[in-house]
Amino acid sequence: MSSAVKVRNLNIWYGDKQVIKNVSIEVPRNVVYAIMGPSGCGKSTLLRAMNRLLDLNPHARVEGEIIIDDINIYDDKVDVAWVRRQFGMVFQLPNPFPHLSIYENVAMGPRLNGLVKDKSQLDELVKESLEKAYLWDEVKNDLKKPASMLSGGQQQRLCIARALALKPRIILMDEPTANLDPVASSKIEELLLQLKGEYTIIIVTHNPQQAARVSNYVAFLYMGELIEVGETSTVFIRPKNALTEKYVLGRIG
Amino acid sequence: MRLNRRKIIDKIMLGIISILAIASAIPIFAILVNVYSEGAKYITLNFLIDLPPPPIGDGGGGIGPALVGSLILVLLALVIAGVIGFFTGLYLSEFSHTKLAQYAQMFLQIMVEFPTIIIGLFAYMVLVAPLKRFNAMAGAIALSIVIIPYIALNVREAYKSIPYTLKEAAFSLGVSAPVAYLRILLNAARHGVLTALLVGIARAAGETAPLLLTILGTTFTYFGGLDQPINAIPLLIYNFALSPYEKWHQVAWGAAAVLLTIILAIFVISRLIVREVKT
Repeated sequence: MSSAVKVRNLNIWYGDKQVIKNVSIEVPRNVVYAIMGPSGCGKSTLLRAMNRLLDLNPHARVEGEIIIDDINIYDDKVDVAWVRRQFGMVFQLPNPFPHLSIYENVAMGPRLNGLVKDKSQLDELVKESLEKAYLWDEVKNDLKKPASMLSGGQQQRLCIARALALKPRIILMDEPTANLDPVASSKIEELLLQLKGEYTIIIVTHNPQQAARVSNYVAFLYMGELIEVGETSTVFIRPKNALTEKYVLGRIG
Repeated sequence: MRLNRRKIIDKIMLGIISILAIASAIPIFAILVNVYSEGAKYITLNFLIDLPPPPIGDGGGGIGPALVGSLILVLLALVIAGVIGFFTGLYLSEFSHTKLAQYAQMFLQIMVEFPTIIIGLFAYMVLVAPLKRFNAMAGAIALSIVIIPYIALNVREAYKSIPYTLKEAAFSLGVSAPVAYLRILLNAARHGVLTALLVGIARAAGETAPLLLTILGTTFTYFGGLDQPINAIPLLIYNFALSPYEKWHQVAWGAAAVLLTIILAIFVISRLIVREVKT
């Protein structure tokens, strides 16, 4: 079985500053793949390169290949919107559209992308997405209320539902628990483990313990370079690189 | 001893500044009192719809043609400037790194300060002189040129104020840029965009100079077509106030009170919109 995402010889600059240095990784299908490293190591940038959200930053320049379905998404002929539809994305700061209702936050993506034929299909998809995000029971009577009334943890699960509603195969998560309290964080982590059978999940985290808890594979980035990559158990128990060992023991970061 | 003196000087300076601050607000209250004490008594429903009175003789008369003319001119100007100003503002906000946006923004900031009589003169040269006729369209276009920079710069602020993380969320849904900006993010910027349009309306409704050389100012016809002369409230005030007839002076005062009310109403609405944003 081919990989979900292949990154080949990726280099990224912001202006003159190189933030990703010749990184190559392969993400297998239906696993949780963690990209970990200290703040500023380039992990969020790498994640945003995968769905070309990095294009929004006019100062970013990308060289190299990222391949999904045998298609290099940085090929000139590729439609950027199509690339982004292959991924669902969850961000560090819960960012539901505050002016929209809970329902609309989830419904917006599928409706604008023509994923559903009619209202009943949309209702069904919204319900299904909220159920998968473990949020349905909490909000099923408040679907018309603004998303801003939810707690931080609920907002983040709403954002996960919004991502799932696009029916992506891959979910990108950029430190999804960094702004949540421990209880809300553990709910998100539980949810991750539930989802991994069905989706490929790529999660960025600065917390090695989180990577150890949730991931099957892990890549360790340091100052834009890939230091070590492998199965999580191997990397955490027998790291090959001294820097990785320091990091997983909490001595850098 | 020295500390006391410093405190006294501090108090005196604060007093002076406070008095100056109050003084700067005196003109606006003086204008309000003046206009409403002279003009409010003429405002009736008939005043808003009737033709102006003949200069000599009986009959109250009104500002119907000028009010209709102002509505038409402001609406036209709003449509033209709204479309151009909105997309310009969006471009300035989202492509602010491009040279074009940087130059466009500089020119718009200059245009805000532009003497509006020059814009009127330009419209006269391009849209009145070749047709050999004063016309409503020329006035509307002159007004739209006046308000485009206000709308564009305010729309730019509205889109700039959307948190970056919301923009990322919108684009991560895999929609095209027009859909992201117009169907998702416009909603997040709607208060600012609405305020931009209201500022444009207020500005267009109150402008006189761009109209002096473009619409002539009819007195006794409501609307004869976009290629015909038309009137507007500020222009009526200007023409009637300069006339030698007492009766027309009264109409000018009444019209001034109407205009001021419209502008104040727009101001209040836009403040309410801004307040809603904060909560």
